[in-house]
Amino acid sequence: MDMRIEDYLAQGGVLSNPTNVPPRYRAELMKLMTSFVDSELAGAAGFADIINQGPGIRERIAAARIVLEKTDHAARVLQVMESFGVDADRYANHHPWTARLDRDADIGAARGDHDMRLAVFNYPLEGWADAVVMNLLMGCAVTVQMSDFQKLSYQPLAEVFRAIAPVEARHGELAEEGLARLMGEGAGEAILASVSYWWPRVAASFGQAGSLRFEAMRAMGLCHTNNQTLRAQWETEAMAALGRVGIQPA
Amino acid sequence: MARFHDLTVTDVTKTIRDAVVVTLQPDDADAFDFTQGQYLTFRRDFEGQELRRSYSICAGRQEGQLKIGIKRVEGGAFSTWANEELQVGDRLQAMAPMGSFFTALDPASERQYLGFAGGSGITPLLSIIKTTLAAEPGARFTLVYANKGVNTIMFREELEDLKNQHMGRFNVIHILEADAQEIDLFTGLVTEEKCAELFRGWIDIENVDTAFICGPEPMMLGIAAALRAHGLSDAQIKFELFASAQPGRLKARVASKDAASAANQAEIAYALDGATRTITASKDTSLLESALANQLDAPFACKAGVCSTCRCRVLEGEVEMVANHALEDYEVEKGYVLSCQSFPVTDRVVVDYDQ
Repeated sequence: MDMRIEDYLAQGGVLSNPTNVPPRYRAELMKLMTSFVDSELAGAAGFADIINQGPGIRERIAAARIVLEKTDHAARVLQVMESFGVDADRYANHHPWTARLDRDADIGAARGDHDMRLAVFNYPLEGWADAVVMNLLMGCAVTVQMSDFQKLSYQPLAEVFRAIAPVEARHGELAEEGLARLMGEGAGEAILASVSYWWPRVAASFGQAGSLRFEAMRAMGLCHTNNQTLRAQWETEAMAALGRVGIQPA
Repeated sequence: MARFHDLTVTDVTKTIRDAVVVTLQPDDADAFDFTQGQYLTFRRDFEGQELRRSYSICAGRQEGQLKIGIKRVEGGAFSTWANEELQVGDRLQAMAPMGSFFTALDPASERQYLGFAGGSGITPLLSIIKTTLAAEPGARFTLVYANKGVNTIMFREELEDLKNQHMGRFNVIHILEADAQEIDLFTGLVTEEKCAELFRGWIDIENVDTAFICGPEPMMLGIAAALRAHGLSDAQIKFELFASAQPGRLKARVASKDAASAANQAEIAYALDGATRTITASKDTSLLESALANQLDAPFACKAGVCSTCRCRVLEGEVEMVANHALEDYEVEKGYVLSCQSFPVTDRVVVDYDQ
């Protein structure tokens, strides 16, 4: 009758509260959550500075909404972290989320010393069009990643991801609408430059192919699809989104 | 942050031979305004060691009472104490209700629910069933309830009462492992195959909106597989698992030894992912940084003493933790430290990330 929790997870079992997670699972789950929260907070903080550069009031509303909702999504995941004993108030303020490196810093997929944001969120945005491009490419990446996150084995977190996935998807659509308008105004060349700047950086956020951690994570039900498959999916979707607004990257 | 509140025991009722229902009166009633299906985490000292245990609330929201069910687990210190020694008037400490084993209620809806309970897994389901039937006049609920035999069925009479009270809206199917019943299908374990048979004639699976499962691991796996095979999505299946592996007793911490000091270097043994590696590192470098510098894949996230991802346990030697915003006192007493904030004090330190 007794079953090891590791076997239960490997067979697709679901965990429902902090009292029944094994130590290694707890560590990987916390890592996954901090990475998400830090990326959302850093992403929102970076985008907040761009709101006033929006060319019209509609664009500024869209940007403000993205900032609001990404912050809200961070708060929801932070709430799950709270049930593991994290001090959420202190957490949200423990790092200057607007801090960025130089535009030319070459850090690959490495994260900073102070938080777990994805490397891509360490690069600064350069103006409105650049922000919209970054948001479109990253929006596609989030949508792809979310499809995997919604299946993860810690039910309270999977439920948060199911609830926020459509809102995150909408952020990508808003970026696409914004980009279509910029293309109509003849900003094609600047946009193309931004695409080639952000493309490799967003791609790197999927991590390395053949990562050893993947098997361990899959055995715990904390991920289901490997990095290279997710990245390939993103490439297809990002290319299609760019194609829809008339951008053909080299 | 987790905080404990005081409660007074106002009633202890035996349900079956080795299970009690405990009614509690919290000093701060607002802190215990629960949602159906949630649980309470208690703490109590046993021979100088603090134990924490979680038990589900078995009352409905509208009952205005806080009740939990505690089944005695073989060798379990807390559940044995609750079953044998707990009395009216005793004081307990518990955290505010937690857990997400519920769905939002809508009085206007006419939803069909399906619940699966194994043994004491009935406690949160009883709370859900009572609350849902009262709050959603159009709701229908079917419960599949697995037990060893007739005399181990918790809340048997209460479930019968609910059937009479909500005529035609609540149905219970008892599956007994050992006792024979009139219908063969109702004897044995609740497996994936058993569920498939139940879905053929006894349960209208196609119209089920939400399913709740609370029981031991193999049972949850089998039922979930059957539900998915019959078209339910992950979002429609709610799980609650209280792993049977909650230890009854805590191991005593290994006493600190070897307090002498060498030239600011420490030998640190890291147990990680089942393997142990020993390195020599400066006492001015945190346990985590030394591990990472030596290509050990130690878990970490914030490196600020906030998130607790890098938590490990000191088995031997002494370390100094310079900041701690995440671990609670009882964890620190058990020897847990945040490795990003901890520096070796003794010349030899042994830490374990796997426990």
